[in-house]
Amino acid sequence: MNLPSPARIYKSLNLTIFTLVMVFLYIPILILIIFSFNDAKIITSWQGFTLRYYRLLWENAAIKAAFRNTLLIAGLATLISTVLGILAALGLENKRFSGRKGILALIYTPLVIPDILMGVSLALMFNFTRVQTGMFTVLIAHVTFCLSYTVIVIQSRLEGFDRSLVEAAMDLGAKPSQVFWRVKFPLMMPGIIAAALLAFTLSIDDFIITFFTSGRGFDTLPVYVEGTIRRGTITTINSLSTVMIAFTLFLVAATKRIRKNLFGSF
Amino acid sequence: MEEIRLEHLSKEFSGFVAVDNVNLTIKGGELFSFLGPSGCGKTTLLRMIAGFEIPTRGRILIGDQDIIDLPPYKRKVNTIFQNYSLFPHMTLCDNVGFGLKMKKVAPKEIDQRVMEMLELVRMQDQARKYPDQISGGQKQRIAIARALINKPQVLLLDEPLAALDLKLRQHMLIELMNIHDLVGITFIYVTHDQGEAMSISDRVAVMSEGKIVQFGPPDDIYERPSSIFAAYFIGETNLLSSEVIAVEDDYVQLRSPIGNGDYIEFDSCFKRVPEVGQKLVTSLRPEKIAISRAKPRALDDINMIKGIIEDILYLGSHTQYIVRVGNQRIRVFSQHKRVYFDDKALDWEEPVWLFWHDSDTWLIEETPSAQIASSERFYESTGHYLRTPKRSASN
Amino acid sequence: MMNNASWLLTAPALIWLLTFFAVPYLIIVIYSFLTADIYDVKFLFSLDSFRQAFQSAYLRTFLLSFKFAFYTTAICLLIGYPVAYFIARSREAVKNNLLILIIIPFWTNLIIRIFAWRIFLSYNGVLNEALMGLNLIGQPLEILRTDLAVMIVMVYVFLPYMILPLYSVIEKMDWTLLNAAMDLGATERRAFFRVTLPMSFEGIIAGSILVFIPALGAYLIPQLVGNQRSLLVGQVITYKIKNIPLNWPMASALSLILLFVVALLLILLYLTYKSRRRGGSPSDAIRNQRY
Repeated sequence: MNLPSPARIYKSLNLTIFTLVMVFLYIPILILIIFSFNDAKIITSWQGFTLRYYRLLWENAAIKAAFRNTLLIAGLATLISTVLGILAALGLENKRFSGRKGILALIYTPLVIPDILMGVSLALMFNFTRVQTGMFTVLIAHVTFCLSYTVIVIQSRLEGFDRSLVEAAMDLGAKPSQVFWRVKFPLMMPGIIAAALLAFTLSIDDFIITFFTSGRGFDTLPVYVEGTIRRGTITTINSLSTVMIAFTLFLVAATKRIRKNLFGSF
Repeated sequence: MEEIRLEHLSKEFSGFVAVDNVNLTIKGGELFSFLGPSGCGKTTLLRMIAGFEIPTRGRILIGDQDIIDLPPYKRKVNTIFQNYSLFPHMTLCDNVGFGLKMKKVAPKEIDQRVMEMLELVRMQDQARKYPDQISGGQKQRIAIARALINKPQVLLLDEPLAALDLKLRQHMLIELMNIHDLVGITFIYVTHDQGEAMSISDRVAVMSEGKIVQFGPPDDIYERPSSIFAAYFIGETNLLSSEVIAVEDDYVQLRSPIGNGDYIEFDSCFKRVPEVGQKLVTSLRPEKIAISRAKPRALDDINMIKGIIEDILYLGSHTQYIVRVGNQRIRVFSQHKRVYFDDKALDWEEPVWLFWHDSDTWLIEETPSAQIASSERFYESTGHYLRTPKRSASN
Repeated sequence: MMNNASWLLTAPALIWLLTFFAVPYLIIVIYSFLTADIYDVKFLFSLDSFRQAFQSAYLRTFLLSFKFAFYTTAICLLIGYPVAYFIARSREAVKNNLLILIIIPFWTNLIIRIFAWRIFLSYNGVLNEALMGLNLIGQPLEILRTDLAVMIVMVYVFLPYMILPLYSVIEKMDWTLLNAAMDLGATERRAFFRVTLPMSFEGIIAGSILVFIPALGAYLIPQLVGNQRSLLVGQVITYKIKNIPLNWPMASALSLILLFVVALLLILLYLTYKSRRRGGSPSDAIRNQRY
């Protein structure tokens, strides 16, 4: 009678836990997707297959506006935070930079503070300065929370950068500007794309900070969705959710190569 | 071909002196090496010539031009980096043509010259590949092509063979020599490997702690080291603290203590006349000593001493013996030539005679220091040796 | 690289963060000392907000938030570690795909994920239908709108935040150390507790921070699936900012207290990390060998 070795027991235990967790993670999502095809107003019991709610989704002007706003903010916020991030990362390259410790501390801090506090602080500041909440305030907020991430991602990739390549380029006759655009920048590209991607996903996903800094009339998708759930008018939420999940899957597939760099900087 | 002059060149890093008042003239077209242990300042020196470090003091002149104020991209100097530093995001073609592109040479001409260069280093059919697709030796050749295409006045090589394995290193060494002969420009080579430096250089400068200890043709430094460091760093040697007992016309008599109040006496020729009673160090290269069971015939210019074999290291082409003479350990290299070998191989604890020509004894005018006394340093070896098992005396 | 160049390059990001991150907190401090007004805030000095904040009702809210965050972190760690370990130890070809499986829910919008649970857990939702259909229960379970629901959804939402840092640390581990330990006589279990676990300590810390702190300030989860009687800090603060009657000074005071708690926690962690490091430094190991 052979008992399986302890190693094998642990391994199968591990596998079991893993499978259970996978089930745990996916069942709600799968149900959501299935129920988006459900022909019923009350989305808790199955009534029949239908694409009605997708059609309604397509015809909903408010959702489309929210969707456009989300993309607009995400695009602009990604652009601004990535550019600022590139500059800051380049500045932080210099290890003997006098402000390095302080600036890094400032950059790391937003990451360890609950984002509700960022929302509150910005809401109060806009109130204090009598700035009208709307697209610009949301944009400012998004850039602010994306900035820490872009700096850190690009900076961590710069750490592994081979300095001798810069010297080699200069040795071969490249002036400093040529060195940057022909050698350094192309090699930074993967990191820049990873940072931009991260900023983009953070921006389209954000609720609480946008909630605090948007006024009436400017909704992003997450804010809109929360509003409809709260108010109870949730006919098209399932189909909307499914579309958003499909979008996530698309994002995951399309960024296969870049994600390797992303996780290097976790 | 212009010469390169280093005048009072120094470099300090917040209190630490990396290069200390180097004065040197490198002849145009020669292959000159800087040889020394890590931290001796050779790389810093090279980087100053390339333009990556700004000297604290001194001048670097190529011909008549002081290039100190020129940034690296304006100097007619190109560098081969230790890890080749090929641009990973460019093809080999683009890598090689980079320098020409920076000078805004016409694309057609760039293509043509790149192809010529690739043919010179025999990499023409790999032109479209990327650096991560080729081997170390091939990267080396591309690095050389990339540098030489710009027709620099000087080529700087920073330990170029360090990343290659032994066989490849030997091969590339010869290739570098051939390229040097072909192209004819000045090569400045930096290495810690004395074998490399000695085999390819026209002249070598040995460096230690920022200073040049000795420079000259390789055989000059090997046979006539002017300091304990130079004698010790290049090849192996036996260093004995000695005292001059008598000075004759063409030789001096020396005696060296071997502990317990005993001495050995031997003769040496000399470069500068020493004084009687002067304390100095004798350097005796192991390959100059012959070892034998039987007492050799006494000859005028042959030194003879007795000792006991303490260790035997068989290396195939020769055997290293460590022979105990009093409290000293003398290292002997004995090539396996039947000409002067006994029929039976020498064994541990055998009493032997060591003898050598007195012109092979070399005097170094430095007072003996703790360097020689340290037996650990003496046993430093660089290779893996086969130990022959101790055979019983009855064998 | 010149020092000045570095200042110039980091200036835009620096100014931005100072203006839109640092300065607003000063404004929170200012507002916490003002008087509340139904539709806005009155610029009148008052300590009311702080006086109220330290009352038992609000302290209970903080305690509750703390409890939830703590249990969430603990459960995420217990479940997340084996998962991270499993992925880290699988073959190269499989690793990436397993990671994708974790990322997909991670990148899915938070609100959708919470909403999915609402459907699942509600009174006539999927779970209840399924359990009743299988005759395991007679009456539908009331899970939604309870603390249990909040707990479940919190773990669900924050699990990837624990798994990914753990994975990245475990993956970089030197596995030959485990072999060395077993070679020296340790069983798998002992090797794990004495070698693997301590070496993944940094990952555990990182994951715990990434779970605990956001969990402290959670708003959406308790709001959408939680019991309206046990409010968490995030909800209270949001009500005071968004719902009429407004009470921004109160919200500010509460925010400051939350900030303070988080800062305290981080300092504690930092000190524990430092002292642990000191105990395990190589020089200590050598010194201890003599005894």
